[in-house]
Amino acid sequence: MPMGHTATAEAGSGGLTATEHRLANGLRVVLSEDHLTPVAAVCLWYDVGSRHEVKGRTGLAHLFEHLMFQGSKQVHGNGHFELVQGAGGSLNGTTSFERTNYFETMPTHQLELALWLEADRMGSLLAALDDESMENQRDVVKNERRQRYDNVPYGTAFEKLTALMYPEGHPYHHTPIGSMDDLDAATLEDARNFFRTYYAPNNAVLSIVGDIDPQETRAWVEKYFGSIPGHDGKPAPRDGALPDVIGGQLREVVEEEVPARALMAAYRLPEDGTRACDAADLALTVLGGGESSRLYNRLVRRDRTAVAAGFGLLRLAGAPSLGWLDVKTSGDVEVPVIEAAVDEELARFAEEGPTAEEMERAQAQLEREWLDRLGTVAGRADELCRFAVLFGDPQLALTAVRRVLEVTAEEVQEIAKARLRPDNRAVLVYEPTAPAEADTETDTETAENAEEAGR
Amino acid sequence: MTEQLAMMDFHPQPQAGAPKPWAFPAPQRGTLDNGLTVLHCHRPGQQVVAVEINLDAPLDAEPKGLDGVSTIMARAFNEGTDKHSAEEFAAELERCGATMDAHADHPGVRVSLEVPVSRLPKALALLADALRAPAFADSEIERLVRNRLDEIPHESANPARRAAKELSRQLFPADARMSRPRQGTEETVTAIDAAAVRAFYEKHVRPATATAVVVGDLTGVDLAALLADTLGAWTGDTAEPRPVPPVIADDSGRVVIVDRPGAVQTQLLIGRIGPDRHDRVWAAQILGTYCLGGTLTSRLDRVLREEKGYTYGVRSFAQVLRSAPDGTGASMLAISGSVDTPNTGPALDDLWQVLRTLAAEGLTDAERDTAVQNLVGVAPLKFETAAAVAGTLADQVEQHLPDDFQAHLYRQLAATGTVEATAAVVSAFPADRLVTILVGDAAAIEEPVKALNIGEVTVVAG
Repeated sequence: MPMGHTATAEAGSGGLTATEHRLANGLRVVLSEDHLTPVAAVCLWYDVGSRHEVKGRTGLAHLFEHLMFQGSKQVHGNGHFELVQGAGGSLNGTTSFERTNYFETMPTHQLELALWLEADRMGSLLAALDDESMENQRDVVKNERRQRYDNVPYGTAFEKLTALMYPEGHPYHHTPIGSMDDLDAATLEDARNFFRTYYAPNNAVLSIVGDIDPQETRAWVEKYFGSIPGHDGKPAPRDGALPDVIGGQLREVVEEEVPARALMAAYRLPEDGTRACDAADLALTVLGGGESSRLYNRLVRRDRTAVAAGFGLLRLAGAPSLGWLDVKTSGDVEVPVIEAAVDEELARFAEEGPTAEEMERAQAQLEREWLDRLGTVAGRADELCRFAVLFGDPQLALTAVRRVLEVTAEEVQEIAKARLRPDNRAVLVYEPTAPAEADTETDTETAENAEEAGR
Repeated sequence: MTEQLAMMDFHPQPQAGAPKPWAFPAPQRGTLDNGLTVLHCHRPGQQVVAVEINLDAPLDAEPKGLDGVSTIMARAFNEGTDKHSAEEFAAELERCGATMDAHADHPGVRVSLEVPVSRLPKALALLADALRAPAFADSEIERLVRNRLDEIPHESANPARRAAKELSRQLFPADARMSRPRQGTEETVTAIDAAAVRAFYEKHVRPATATAVVVGDLTGVDLAALLADTLGAWTGDTAEPRPVPPVIADDSGRVVIVDRPGAVQTQLLIGRIGPDRHDRVWAAQILGTYCLGGTLTSRLDRVLREEKGYTYGVRSFAQVLRSAPDGTGASMLAISGSVDTPNTGPALDDLWQVLRTLAAEGLTDAERDTAVQNLVGVAPLKFETAAAVAGTLADQVEQHLPDDFQAHLYRQLAATGTVEATAAVVSAFPADRLVTILVGDAAAIEEPVKALNIGEVTVVAG
């Protein structure tokens, strides 16, 4: 299929096609052939993420994802991992706001095993799920939270920004890792109900990409998944819609033991799947995506007030996307100096729009990122599932790069003007505190202060 | 639930089909007129081409008191040439949709370029300019030095980075470059200026001692002409082969706690040094180390994670530090992960028990078989991208190994038995000769760790 006026006219057209099928139980299946390497990727997206969680049970979707690796009717203990790895495959699962995905990349001749394994847990997880796995994985997930968020400097920044950005009660107010209290509170019955509610073939998309025989593969899918009953008990997630702009600046100052001051901000941006979201992606790339971006040139190269400065985009389909600004200050530089420079650059960009050369650079960067994503069978399988689950059409994955290349400079300027404004952001400022002292007296004092600060 | 189970048809576990042949790609080797060695490899379908450059500028060659000059030089390759200012250079690279990164490590400097094949000529020209005529402008070097100084506190605050720094300090003699941070300390980085960077470049960077690896879908690319026009324009003299000093380490069993009052977890890094890829034991060591801690079904995680829930995951690995043509190089053998603070003592107790049991009873044939099937079987997926192939080929060059080393390693792994794998991993991780670094809350963990008798315990400031 053609990729438009891209750097790699052949890249996309090198036989990248996909076909779609639907089993009687509602399971959607996407197949894409590529015989260059003797490997096949299996990817299964369940349309459930942390946005489906209810108050008091944050983190349940992710904890549940761990339980999916603890065995099912015909697979014992860690058998899922053991069998895939023993077959020369690699595997994992991840949970985000909007979905939970499971994937295996296998040598071609072991593809059928991966399908058998995924079907077994989709149809019979509850036959194996018990208290022992629940208690064990609860501890593992709590240690995951400590390792990735609580025990690293700025580790909880994203969680804090999200909580500021999406109001109390909003489905995206909390992140997938969840809170320690809620992880402690989750019960085996919660996990069972979660499975019964969300883990059904008609709430999933299965993609299989690589060195496959489509007919044989379809027969295997039918054989292993075809008899799993579908069910329609899934409640619709709470509405994530919000007005286009926040209408005022939200702000939180964090005093913590971090190595340097930092200015972070989340801007409310258009939903994924829209042309405006692609325009926002380009705007953020021009402003803060790499070492020729406006903010990097201004803060790191010229003013030399920052160690690092950049923008990232978290694309979301069920709520406004989030543009994440992250600046770590240099030396003794104070946050207001950075903030004034950021505001000035954003205002100038909204006023002038991107130059033709900036558009070319941003589009070339995003194009390479797409080529990287689609350059492996696993990356392609994941993107096909993403577009099928979130936007109803896997084919959109194969034209995504073309859509980014079609966006005009005017559209980029328009979105910057409308959204990249101080009254459309949540700001998080980090002010470092001195390291805690080791003796007990100071400990008590610190604890009291912390409690006061929390009121 | 039972209803649902009754409704699903269960089938027996399927049998594997016939495996399709796959071999690690064999590169073609050549030399340009300027003495630059070139390896290239055509990978159909890989539209993003990977280029790796090895420069024979090891950290050992840094002048005394200037630790970090190699890092600053590597970073400065991205900061302008005789044709472009720093800002222009970054802009030109990004216009190609390219990324170019460089870093300095013990064996030398590596520059990595990735770019869509249609823009390979332009990106290769930029890379060649960077190597041939880097600007090293005073103000850019000054900025890179300040930037590097700003990074140091961020690294020290990161428990994993802090642990790695401490382990190097503990293992290697104080006068060995390996004992000190790769990217320099506050004191040494402060002393670096543009003149020092240029002097280091002039002394150690030249095409005759460099290698370029180019991997990707090269259909329709006249690589010879392209290389001649770009990297071929780089000139320089020749150099005598550099003697490689042996790597010496003190692995007498001991524990160092880097104190982090209030830390909710303890970062652990337990290590020593051992053989590199030149040693005949390498394949068996890879295999045994995988069985010990390669994945969550390996021995360590089976207990620490899947039975006890003390951790999100603990891994054991071997990472080459520096190799020599005569085989006197070494690798770092280590176990790393983090465990919650209250369970630090019990987790280490279990970890040592795993090591002792392994030494006493050995690996099982089933463990060995699964490990071989995984390590050999994942090769086609592991090397799907051009970047993965280029990285491994460049590692081989850097480590003075033949171009078919990786291909040969897969045959060796398949031929390695349980007894050999056991012997290799047991001698790699002897329970009484491991240096243990714990970054955590000393007040909470010191006593429980002392009680384990795994070596003398000292506490240092965080």
